[in-house]
Amino acid sequence: MISDTLVHLLRDNYLEAKIRGKKSFLLQRQQLLSLAEIPTLSDIVAALADGPYGSELSKLQEVSSAVETERAIQRGFASSVNNLVSGSKGNVRQFLLEYVRRFDAYDLATLVMFKSQGKTWEEFSTARQPLGGVREGQLRRLYMMDDLRESVRIIGDKTLEERTGDIDLEEMPPEKAALVRDIFTGWGEERFYNYVVKRLHGRDRSSCLPIVGATVDLLNLSIVLRSKLIGVSNIEEHLVPVHWRLDKQSIGRLLATTDLDETLEKAGSLTQYSRLMANARQRHEETKSLAFLEMDVKRYLVGQARRIFLGFPYTIGVVLAFLIFKENEARGLAAVISGVASGLKPDQVKALITV
Amino acid sequence: MVADTILFAGLGVSLSLLLSVLGAALGISISAPAIAGAGTERPETVSRNLIATILAEALAIYGLVVGLLSLFAITPTLSPDGAFRIFSGGLTMGVAALGAGLGIGTSGAALASATAEKPELFSRTVVPLILSEALAIYALVVSLLLVLAAK
Repeated sequence: MISDTLVHLLRDNYLEAKIRGKKSFLLQRQQLLSLAEIPTLSDIVAALADGPYGSELSKLQEVSSAVETERAIQRGFASSVNNLVSGSKGNVRQFLLEYVRRFDAYDLATLVMFKSQGKTWEEFSTARQPLGGVREGQLRRLYMMDDLRESVRIIGDKTLEERTGDIDLEEMPPEKAALVRDIFTGWGEERFYNYVVKRLHGRDRSSCLPIVGATVDLLNLSIVLRSKLIGVSNIEEHLVPVHWRLDKQSIGRLLATTDLDETLEKAGSLTQYSRLMANARQRHEETKSLAFLEMDVKRYLVGQARRIFLGFPYTIGVVLAFLIFKENEARGLAAVISGVASGLKPDQVKALITV
Repeated sequence: MVADTILFAGLGVSLSLLLSVLGAALGISISAPAIAGAGTERPETVSRNLIATILAEALAIYGLVVGLLSLFAITPTLSPDGAFRIFSGGLTMGVAALGAGLGIGTSGAALASATAEKPELFSRTVVPLILSEALAIYALVVSLLLVLAAK
Protein backbone atom coordinates (compact mmCIF):
# COMPACT_ATOMS: atom_id res chain seq x y z
CA MET A 1 0.00 0.00 0.00
CA ILE A 2 2.86 2.37 0.89
CA SER A 3 4.62 1.49 -2.36
CA ASP A 4 1.44 2.33 -4.33
CA THR A 5 1.27 5.71 -2.60
CA LEU A 6 4.94 6.38 -3.31
CA VAL A 7 4.45 5.47 -6.96
CA HIS A 8 1.54 7.94 -7.20
CA LEU A 9 3.56 10.55 -5.36
CA LEU A 10 6.60 10.22 -7.61
CA ARG A 11 5.02 9.31 -10.93
CA ASP A 12 1.46 10.64 -11.03
CA ASN A 13 2.08 14.12 -9.57
CA TYR A 14 1.76 15.72 -12.97
CA LEU A 15 -1.63 14.13 -13.64
CA GLU A 16 -2.89 14.73 -10.12
CA ALA A 17 -2.20 18.48 -10.39
CA LYS A 18 -3.66 18.56 -13.89
CA ILE A 19 -6.86 16.93 -12.67
CA ARG A 20 -7.18 19.40 -9.79
CA GLY A 21 -6.77 22.20 -12.32
CA LYS A 22 -9.35 20.75 -14.67
CA LYS A 23 -11.72 20.20 -11.75
CA SER A 24 -11.61 23.90 -10.95
CA PHE A 25 -12.96 24.66 -14.43
CA LEU A 26 -15.92 22.27 -14.13
CA LEU A 27 -19.25 24.03 -14.33
CA GLN A 28 -21.02 24.23 -11.00
CA ARG A 29 -24.69 23.32 -10.70
CA GLN A 30 -25.57 27.01 -10.37
CA GLN A 31 -23.77 27.80 -13.62
CA LEU A 32 -25.64 25.02 -15.43
CA LEU A 33 -28.93 26.34 -14.04
CA SER A 34 -28.01 29.83 -15.24
CA LEU A 35 -27.33 28.44 -18.72
CA ALA A 36 -30.84 26.98 -18.69
CA GLU A 37 -32.18 30.54 -18.37
CA ILE A 38 -30.46 31.65 -21.59
CA PRO A 39 -33.07 31.75 -24.36
CA THR A 40 -31.00 30.93 -27.45
CA LEU A 41 -28.44 28.35 -28.42
CA SER A 42 -25.99 30.91 -29.81
CA ASP A 43 -25.98 32.78 -26.48
CA ILE A 44 -25.23 29.50 -24.65
CA VAL A 45 -22.35 28.83 -27.04
CA ALA A 46 -21.06 32.37 -26.44
CA ALA A 47 -21.28 31.86 -22.65
CA LEU A 48 -19.21 28.68 -22.93
CA ALA A 49 -16.63 30.16 -25.29
CA ASP A 50 -14.03 30.90 -22.59
CA GLY A 51 -14.31 27.53 -20.86
CA PRO A 52 -12.87 24.07 -21.57
CA TYR A 53 -15.40 23.49 -24.37
CA GLY A 54 -14.49 26.77 -26.10
CA SER A 55 -12.01 25.16 -28.45
CA GLU A 56 -14.54 22.66 -29.84
CA LEU A 57 -17.42 25.15 -29.84
CA SER A 58 -15.33 27.66 -31.80
CA LYS A 59 -15.19 25.16 -34.68
CA LEU A 60 -18.97 25.38 -35.08
CA GLN A 61 -20.41 27.52 -37.80
CA GLU A 62 -22.31 30.66 -36.86
CA VAL A 63 -25.70 28.98 -37.14
CA SER A 64 -25.32 25.47 -35.80
CA SER A 65 -27.97 22.98 -34.85
CA ALA A 66 -28.47 21.62 -31.33
CA VAL A 67 -27.14 18.24 -32.48
CA GLU A 68 -23.91 19.81 -33.80
CA THR A 69 -23.50 21.78 -30.57
CA GLU A 70 -24.10 18.68 -28.42
CA ARG A 71 -21.56 16.87 -30.56
CA ALA A 72 -19.04 19.66 -29.93
CA ILE A 73 -19.63 19.24 -26.18
CA GLN A 74 -19.03 15.49 -26.49
CA ARG A 75 -15.83 16.18 -28.43
CA GLY A 76 -14.77 18.58 -25.67
CA PHE A 77 -15.29 15.81 -23.12
CA ALA A 78 -13.36 13.35 -25.30
CA SER A 79 -10.50 15.82 -25.71
CA SER A 80 -10.28 16.28 -21.92
CA VAL A 81 -10.06 12.50 -21.43
CA ASN A 82 -7.49 12.13 -24.23
CA ASN A 83 -5.49 14.95 -22.69
CA LEU A 84 -5.37 13.00 -19.42
CA VAL A 85 -4.39 9.80 -21.25
CA SER A 86 -1.48 11.58 -22.93
CA GLY A 87 -0.29 12.99 -19.60
CA SER A 88 -0.43 9.67 -17.74
CA LYS A 89 1.98 6.79 -17.26
CA GLY A 90 2.01 3.22 -15.98
CA ASN A 91 -1.12 1.76 -14.46
CA VAL A 92 -2.96 5.12 -14.46
CA ARG A 93 -2.59 5.21 -18.23
CA GLN A 94 -3.80 1.61 -18.49
CA PHE A 95 -6.72 2.49 -16.21
CA LEU A 96 -7.68 5.42 -18.44
CA LEU A 97 -7.47 3.24 -21.56
CA GLU A 98 -9.77 0.69 -19.89
CA TYR A 99 -12.13 3.53 -18.98
CA VAL A 100 -12.18 4.64 -22.63
CA ARG A 101 -12.79 1.05 -23.77
CA ARG A 102 -16.16 1.17 -22.02
CA PHE A 103 -17.36 3.53 -24.73
CA ASP A 104 -17.16 0.76 -27.33
CA ALA A 105 -20.04 -0.89 -25.48
CA TYR A 106 -21.98 2.40 -25.54
CA ASP A 107 -21.35 2.72 -29.28
CA LEU A 108 -22.45 -0.85 -29.91
CA ALA A 109 -25.60 -0.36 -27.83
CA THR A 110 -26.43 2.83 -29.75
CA LEU A 111 -25.72 1.12 -33.07
CA VAL A 112 -28.06 -1.78 -32.29
CA MET A 113 -30.81 0.51 -31.01
CA PHE A 114 -30.63 3.02 -33.87
CA LYS A 115 -30.38 0.33 -36.51
CA SER A 116 -33.33 -1.60 -35.13
CA GLN A 117 -35.37 1.61 -35.01
CA GLY A 118 -34.57 2.29 -38.67
CA LYS A 119 -32.55 5.46 -38.04
CA THR A 120 -30.00 6.68 -40.56
CA TRP A 121 -26.21 6.52 -40.36
CA GLU A 122 -26.12 10.33 -39.98
CA GLU A 123 -28.38 10.15 -36.94
CA PHE A 124 -26.19 7.42 -35.45
CA SER A 125 -22.92 9.20 -36.16
CA THR A 126 -24.11 12.29 -34.30
CA ALA A 127 -25.24 10.24 -31.31
CA ARG A 128 -22.16 8.03 -30.95
CA GLN A 129 -19.45 8.68 -28.38
CA PRO A 130 -16.36 10.39 -29.82
CA LEU A 131 -14.31 8.44 -27.27
CA GLY A 132 -15.23 5.06 -28.73
CA GLY A 133 -12.25 3.06 -29.95
CA VAL A 134 -13.92 1.73 -33.12
CA ARG A 135 -13.03 3.89 -36.11
CA GLU A 136 -15.80 5.78 -37.86
CA GLY A 137 -15.13 4.01 -41.17
CA GLN A 138 -15.55 0.60 -39.57
CA LEU A 139 -18.68 1.70 -37.72
CA ARG A 140 -20.12 2.94 -40.99
CA ARG A 141 -19.48 -0.42 -42.64
CA LEU A 142 -21.10 -2.18 -39.70
CA TYR A 143 -24.06 0.16 -39.81
CA MET A 144 -24.61 -0.60 -43.48
CA MET A 145 -24.70 -4.34 -42.82
CA ASP A 146 -28.12 -5.95 -42.43
CA ASP A 147 -27.08 -8.54 -39.87
CA LEU A 148 -26.90 -6.90 -36.43
CA ARG A 149 -25.47 -10.07 -34.93
CA GLU A 150 -22.43 -9.67 -37.18
CA SER A 151 -21.82 -6.20 -35.68
CA VAL A 152 -22.08 -7.67 -32.18
CA ARG A 153 -19.61 -10.39 -33.20
CA ILE A 154 -17.09 -7.86 -34.61
CA ILE A 155 -17.17 -5.21 -31.88
CA GLY A 156 -18.10 -7.46 -28.99
CA ASP A 157 -16.74 -10.80 -27.90
CA LYS A 158 -17.97 -14.34 -27.28
CA THR A 159 -19.36 -13.36 -23.86
CA LEU A 160 -21.54 -10.64 -25.33
CA GLU A 161 -22.60 -12.85 -28.23
CA GLU A 162 -23.80 -15.53 -25.82
CA ARG A 163 -25.46 -13.00 -23.54
CA THR A 164 -27.47 -11.43 -26.34
CA GLY A 165 -27.90 -14.57 -28.45
CA ASP A 166 -31.61 -15.10 -27.79
CA ILE A 167 -32.65 -11.43 -27.96
CA ASP A 168 -34.50 -10.34 -31.07
CA LEU A 169 -32.45 -7.31 -32.09
CA GLU A 170 -34.56 -6.46 -35.12
CA GLU A 171 -37.69 -5.31 -33.33
CA MET A 172 -37.24 -2.81 -30.55
CA PRO A 173 -40.00 -0.82 -28.87
CA PRO A 174 -38.60 1.90 -26.54
CA GLU A 175 -38.80 -0.08 -23.27
CA LYS A 176 -37.10 -3.08 -24.82
CA ALA A 177 -34.47 -0.81 -26.39
CA ALA A 178 -33.60 0.55 -22.94
CA LEU A 179 -33.28 -3.01 -21.61
CA VAL A 180 -31.05 -4.08 -24.51
CA ARG A 181 -28.95 -0.92 -24.08
CA ASP A 182 -28.39 -1.82 -20.41
CA ILE A 183 -27.37 -5.37 -21.35
CA PHE A 184 -24.80 -4.07 -23.86
CA THR A 185 -23.42 -1.37 -21.58
CA GLY A 186 -23.36 -3.96 -18.79
CA TRP A 187 -20.89 -5.93 -20.88
CA GLY A 188 -18.58 -2.87 -21.10
CA GLU A 189 -18.92 -2.12 -17.41
CA GLU A 190 -18.20 -5.77 -16.56
CA ARG A 191 -14.84 -5.58 -18.39
CA PHE A 192 -13.98 -2.39 -16.53
CA TYR A 193 -15.03 -3.88 -13.18
CA ASN A 194 -12.93 -6.98 -13.82
CA TYR A 195 -9.95 -4.79 -14.65
CA VAL A 196 -10.34 -2.85 -11.38
CA VAL A 197 -10.79 -5.99 -9.27
CA LYS A 198 -8.03 -8.04 -10.88
CA ARG A 199 -5.38 -5.48 -11.76
CA LEU A 200 -5.64 -2.77 -9.12
CA HIS A 201 -4.60 -3.22 -5.51
CA GLY A 202 -4.94 -1.61 -2.12
CA ARG A 203 -6.23 1.95 -2.03
CA ASP A 204 -6.44 2.16 -5.83
CA ARG A 205 -8.97 -0.67 -5.90
CA SER A 206 -10.91 0.36 -2.81
CA SER A 207 -11.23 3.95 -4.04
CA CYS A 208 -12.57 2.88 -7.46
CA LEU A 209 -15.01 0.21 -6.31
CA PRO A 210 -17.69 2.55 -4.91
CA ILE A 211 -18.16 3.82 -8.47
CA VAL A 212 -17.24 0.85 -10.66
CA GLY A 213 -18.91 -1.72 -8.38
CA ALA A 214 -22.04 0.37 -7.89
CA THR A 215 -22.30 0.89 -11.66
CA VAL A 216 -22.38 -2.87 -12.24
CA ASP A 217 -24.84 -3.45 -9.37
CA LEU A 218 -27.18 -0.70 -10.51
CA LEU A 219 -27.06 -1.90 -14.11
CA ASN A 220 -28.16 -5.32 -12.91
CA LEU A 221 -30.91 -3.70 -10.87
CA SER A 222 -31.97 -1.69 -13.91
CA ILE A 223 -31.99 -4.80 -16.14
CA VAL A 224 -34.19 -6.64 -13.64
CA LEU A 225 -36.61 -3.70 -13.31
CA ARG A 226 -36.86 -3.17 -17.06
CA SER A 227 -37.42 -6.87 -17.65
CA LYS A 228 -40.29 -6.76 -15.15
CA LEU A 229 -41.68 -3.66 -16.88
CA ILE A 230 -41.98 -5.40 -20.23
CA GLY A 231 -42.70 -8.83 -18.77
CA VAL A 232 -39.56 -10.65 -19.90
CA SER A 233 -38.80 -13.80 -17.93
CA ASN A 234 -35.48 -15.67 -17.77
CA ILE A 235 -33.45 -12.49 -17.59
CA GLU A 236 -30.75 -14.09 -15.38
CA GLU A 237 -28.49 -15.00 -18.27
CA HIS A 238 -28.54 -11.39 -19.51
CA LEU A 239 -27.39 -9.94 -16.20
CA VAL A 240 -23.84 -8.79 -15.68
CA PRO A 241 -22.29 -11.91 -14.10
CA VAL A 242 -20.24 -9.94 -11.54
CA HIS A 243 -21.50 -8.11 -8.51
CA TRP A 244 -20.14 -5.82 -5.84
CA ARG A 245 -22.60 -5.27 -3.01
CA LEU A 246 -25.76 -6.47 -4.72
CA ASP A 247 -25.14 -10.18 -4.36
CA LYS A 248 -26.80 -13.11 -6.12
CA GLN A 249 -29.22 -13.66 -3.24
CA SER A 250 -30.53 -10.10 -3.38
CA ILE A 251 -30.92 -10.30 -7.15
CA GLY A 252 -32.61 -13.68 -6.75
CA ARG A 253 -35.18 -12.12 -4.39
CA LEU A 254 -35.88 -9.39 -6.95
CA LEU A 255 -36.22 -11.92 -9.77
CA ALA A 256 -38.67 -13.98 -7.73
CA THR A 257 -41.23 -11.18 -7.69
CA THR A 258 -44.28 -11.33 -9.92
CA ASP A 259 -44.61 -7.76 -11.13
CA LEU A 260 -42.77 -4.43 -11.31
CA ASP A 261 -44.49 -2.88 -8.29
CA GLU A 262 -43.45 -5.78 -6.10
CA THR A 263 -39.90 -5.62 -7.49
CA LEU A 264 -39.71 -1.89 -6.76
CA GLU A 265 -41.03 -2.54 -3.26
CA LYS A 266 -38.35 -5.18 -2.69
CA ALA A 267 -35.67 -2.94 -4.25
CA GLY A 268 -36.64 -0.21 -1.78
CA SER A 269 -35.86 -2.55 1.10
CA LEU A 270 -32.41 -3.50 -0.24
CA THR A 271 -29.89 -2.62 2.45
CA GLN A 272 -27.14 -2.02 -0.13
CA TYR A 273 -28.90 0.77 -2.00
CA SER A 274 -31.69 1.62 0.41
CA ARG A 275 -31.37 5.41 0.08
CA LEU A 276 -31.24 5.27 -3.69
CA MET A 277 -34.26 3.00 -4.07
CA ALA A 278 -36.31 4.13 -1.06
CA ASN A 279 -39.01 5.96 -3.01
CA ALA A 280 -38.65 4.03 -6.26
CA ARG A 281 -42.18 2.61 -6.26
CA GLN A 282 -43.77 5.95 -5.52
CA ARG A 283 -41.72 7.69 -8.20
CA HIS A 284 -42.64 5.02 -10.73
CA GLU A 285 -46.30 5.52 -9.91
CA GLU A 286 -45.94 9.28 -10.36
CA THR A 287 -43.95 9.21 -13.60
CA LYS A 288 -45.18 5.89 -15.07
CA SER A 289 -41.65 5.17 -16.29
CA LEU A 290 -38.25 4.07 -15.07
CA ALA A 291 -36.48 7.14 -16.45
CA PHE A 292 -36.06 8.48 -12.90
CA LEU A 293 -33.74 5.55 -12.18
CA GLU A 294 -31.11 6.75 -14.67
CA MET A 295 -31.07 10.23 -13.12
CA ASP A 296 -30.88 8.80 -9.60
CA VAL A 297 -28.00 6.49 -10.53
CA LYS A 298 -26.04 9.39 -12.06
CA ARG A 299 -26.72 11.46 -8.95
CA TYR A 300 -25.58 8.57 -6.75
CA LEU A 301 -22.33 8.16 -8.71
CA VAL A 302 -21.60 11.89 -8.55
CA GLY A 303 -22.11 11.69 -4.77
CA GLN A 304 -19.60 8.82 -4.60
CA ALA A 305 -17.15 10.81 -6.75
CA ARG A 306 -17.47 13.76 -4.36
CA ARG A 307 -16.63 11.47 -1.43
CA ILE A 308 -13.56 10.14 -3.23
CA PHE A 309 -12.30 13.68 -3.82
CA LEU A 310 -12.60 14.39 -0.11
CA GLY A 311 -10.57 11.28 0.76
CA PHE A 312 -6.93 10.26 0.35
CA PRO A 313 -5.55 12.08 -2.72
CA TYR A 314 -2.91 9.68 -4.03
CA THR A 315 -5.12 7.01 -5.62
CA ILE A 316 -6.53 6.20 -9.06
CA GLY A 317 -9.97 6.83 -7.54
CA VAL A 318 -9.33 10.57 -7.88
CA VAL A 319 -8.91 10.15 -11.65
CA LEU A 320 -12.14 8.17 -11.88
CA ALA A 321 -13.99 10.67 -9.67
CA PHE A 322 -12.94 13.51 -11.96
CA LEU A 323 -14.10 11.56 -15.02
CA ILE A 324 -17.50 11.04 -13.37
CA PHE A 325 -17.74 14.80 -12.74
CA LYS A 326 -16.69 15.55 -16.30
CA GLU A 327 -19.14 13.04 -17.81
CA ASN A 328 -21.86 14.55 -15.69
CA GLU A 329 -20.99 18.07 -16.78
CA ALA A 330 -21.03 17.10 -20.46
CA ARG A 331 -24.36 15.33 -19.97
CA GLY A 332 -25.79 18.35 -18.16
CA LEU A 333 -24.64 20.72 -20.91
CA ALA A 334 -26.05 18.45 -23.61
CA ALA A 335 -29.38 18.39 -21.74
CA VAL A 336 -29.44 22.21 -21.51
CA ILE A 337 -28.60 22.58 -25.19
CA SER A 338 -31.23 20.13 -26.40
CA GLY A 339 -33.79 21.55 -23.96
CA VAL A 340 -33.25 25.17 -24.99
CA ALA A 341 -33.11 24.24 -28.69
CA SER A 342 -36.41 22.39 -28.47
CA GLY A 343 -38.05 25.42 -26.86
CA LEU A 344 -38.55 24.08 -23.34
CA LYS A 345 -39.17 26.54 -20.52
CA PRO A 346 -36.20 27.21 -18.17
CA ASP A 347 -37.82 25.19 -15.36
CA GLN A 348 -38.29 22.21 -17.66
CA VAL A 349 -34.66 22.47 -18.82
CA LYS A 350 -33.44 22.68 -15.21
CA ALA A 351 -35.27 19.45 -14.41
CA LEU A 352 -33.10 17.70 -17.02
CA ILE A 353 -29.88 18.57 -15.19
CA THR A 354 -28.81 15.63 -13.04
CA VAL A 355 -26.73 17.29 -10.32
CA MET B 1 46.59 8.76 12.42
CA VAL B 2 46.65 11.98 10.31
CA ALA B 3 45.42 10.01 7.33
CA ASP B 4 42.57 8.55 9.44
CA THR B 5 41.41 11.95 10.67
CA ILE B 6 41.52 13.42 7.15
CA LEU B 7 39.65 10.42 5.79
CA PHE B 8 37.01 10.75 8.51
CA ALA B 9 36.61 14.50 7.93
CA GLY B 10 36.55 13.97 4.16
CA LEU B 11 33.75 11.47 4.61
CA GLY B 12 31.81 14.17 6.47
CA VAL B 13 32.32 16.59 3.57
CA SER B 14 31.12 13.95 1.07
CA LEU B 15 28.08 13.02 3.15
CA SER B 16 27.09 16.65 3.54
CA LEU B 17 27.18 17.31 -0.16
CA LEU B 18 25.92 13.94 -1.40
CA LEU B 19 22.91 13.65 0.90
CA SER B 20 22.01 17.33 0.45
CA VAL B 21 22.08 16.93 -3.31
CA LEU B 22 19.92 13.80 -3.01
CA GLY B 23 17.47 15.73 -0.82
CA ALA B 24 17.36 18.57 -3.31
CA ALA B 25 16.87 16.16 -6.21
CA LEU B 26 14.07 14.39 -4.35
CA GLY B 27 12.35 17.68 -3.58
CA ILE B 28 12.60 18.90 -7.16
CA SER B 29 11.65 15.59 -8.77
CA ILE B 30 8.48 15.28 -6.67
CA SER B 31 7.31 18.90 -6.84
CA ALA B 32 8.32 19.93 -10.36
CA PRO B 33 6.02 17.54 -12.29
CA ALA B 34 3.09 18.70 -10.15
CA ILE B 35 3.97 22.34 -10.84
CA ALA B 36 4.14 21.59 -14.55
CA GLY B 37 0.81 19.71 -14.44
CA ALA B 38 -0.86 22.58 -12.59
CA GLY B 39 0.69 24.99 -15.08
CA THR B 40 -0.94 23.28 -18.05
CA GLU B 41 -4.35 24.18 -16.59
CA ARG B 42 -3.48 27.39 -14.72
CA PRO B 43 -0.31 28.94 -16.20
CA GLU B 44 -0.52 31.88 -13.78
CA THR B 45 0.32 29.59 -10.83
CA VAL B 46 3.66 28.37 -12.18
CA SER B 47 5.85 31.32 -11.14
CA ARG B 48 4.52 31.29 -7.56
CA ASN B 49 4.67 27.50 -7.26
CA LEU B 50 8.30 27.48 -8.37
CA ILE B 51 9.12 28.43 -4.78
CA ALA B 52 9.04 24.69 -4.03
CA THR B 53 11.85 23.91 -6.49
CA ILE B 54 13.85 26.95 -5.37
CA LEU B 55 13.60 25.89 -1.72
CA ALA B 56 14.59 22.34 -2.71
CA GLU B 57 17.59 23.69 -4.61
CA ALA B 58 18.60 25.68 -1.50
CA LEU B 59 19.13 22.37 0.31
CA ALA B 60 22.00 21.53 -2.03
CA ILE B 61 23.46 24.99 -1.37
CA TYR B 62 23.34 24.38 2.40
CA GLY B 63 25.19 21.11 1.85
CA LEU B 64 27.72 22.89 -0.36
CA VAL B 65 28.31 25.61 2.27
CA VAL B 66 28.87 23.06 5.05
CA GLY B 67 31.03 20.96 2.71
CA LEU B 68 33.24 23.89 1.64
CA LEU B 69 33.70 25.19 5.20
CA SER B 70 34.55 21.66 6.28
CA LEU B 71 37.03 21.39 3.44
CA PHE B 72 38.78 24.60 4.53
CA ALA B 73 38.97 23.23 8.08
CA ILE B 74 40.78 20.07 7.00
CA THR B 75 44.48 20.67 7.59
CA PRO B 76 47.38 18.27 8.30
CA THR B 77 47.16 19.33 11.96
CA LEU B 78 43.46 18.43 12.29
CA SER B 79 42.80 16.66 15.59
CA PRO B 80 40.67 13.46 15.81
CA ASP B 81 38.16 15.53 17.78
CA GLY B 82 37.98 18.11 14.98
CA ALA B 83 37.61 15.37 12.36
CA PHE B 84 34.68 13.90 14.29
CA ARG B 85 33.05 17.34 14.48
CA ILE B 86 33.38 17.74 10.70
CA PHE B 87 31.99 14.24 10.14
CA SER B 88 29.04 14.90 12.49
CA GLY B 89 28.38 18.29 10.89
CA GLY B 90 28.33 16.76 7.41
CA LEU B 91 26.10 13.87 8.46
CA THR B 92 23.69 16.20 10.28
CA MET B 93 23.38 18.49 7.29
CA GLY B 94 23.06 15.67 4.78
CA VAL B 95 20.43 13.61 6.58
CA ALA B 96 18.40 16.70 7.50
CA ALA B 97 18.51 17.89 3.88
CA LEU B 98 17.32 14.47 2.70
CA GLY B 99 14.33 14.62 5.08
CA ALA B 100 13.61 18.23 4.24
CA GLY B 101 13.78 17.36 0.52
CA LEU B 102 11.08 14.73 0.96
CA GLY B 103 8.98 17.22 2.92
CA ILE B 104 9.45 19.97 0.35
CA GLY B 105 8.71 17.59 -2.52
CA THR B 106 5.44 16.27 -1.12
CA SER B 107 4.21 19.57 0.27
CA GLY B 108 5.31 21.35 -2.91
CA ALA B 109 3.36 18.87 -5.03
CA ALA B 110 0.34 19.30 -2.77
CA LEU B 111 0.73 23.09 -3.03
CA ALA B 112 0.74 22.86 -6.82
CA SER B 113 -2.35 20.60 -6.84
CA ALA B 114 -4.20 22.78 -4.36
CA THR B 115 -3.47 26.03 -6.18
CA ALA B 116 -4.41 24.43 -9.51
CA GLU B 117 -7.87 23.90 -8.03
CA LYS B 118 -8.06 27.02 -5.84
CA PRO B 119 -5.29 29.60 -6.49
CA GLU B 120 -6.39 31.65 -3.48
CA LEU B 121 -5.09 28.86 -1.19
CA PHE B 122 -1.44 29.67 -1.98
CA SER B 123 -0.68 31.82 1.07
CA ARG B 124 -1.91 29.08 3.43
CA THR B 125 -0.64 25.99 1.62
CA VAL B 126 2.87 27.44 1.30
CA VAL B 127 3.33 27.25 5.09
CA PRO B 128 4.18 23.49 5.25
CA LEU B 129 6.71 24.09 2.50
CA ILE B 130 8.46 26.81 4.52
CA LEU B 131 8.34 24.68 7.66
CA SER B 132 9.99 21.81 5.76
CA GLU B 133 12.75 24.18 4.68
CA ALA B 134 13.15 25.31 8.32
CA LEU B 135 14.08 21.72 9.23
CA ALA B 136 17.14 21.98 7.02
CA ILE B 137 18.01 25.44 8.39
CA TYR B 138 18.10 24.03 11.95
CA ALA B 139 20.55 21.39 10.75
CA LEU B 140 22.57 24.03 8.87
CA VAL B 141 23.01 26.08 12.06
CA VAL B 142 24.14 23.06 14.10
CA SER B 143 26.43 21.83 11.30
CA LEU B 144 28.07 25.24 10.95
CA LEU B 145 28.68 25.41 14.71
CA LEU B 146 30.23 21.93 14.60
CA VAL B 147 32.41 22.68 11.58
CA LEU B 148 33.56 26.08 12.84
CA ALA B 149 34.49 24.52 16.20
CA ALA B 150 36.59 21.92 14.40
CA LYS B 151 39.50 24.30 13.67
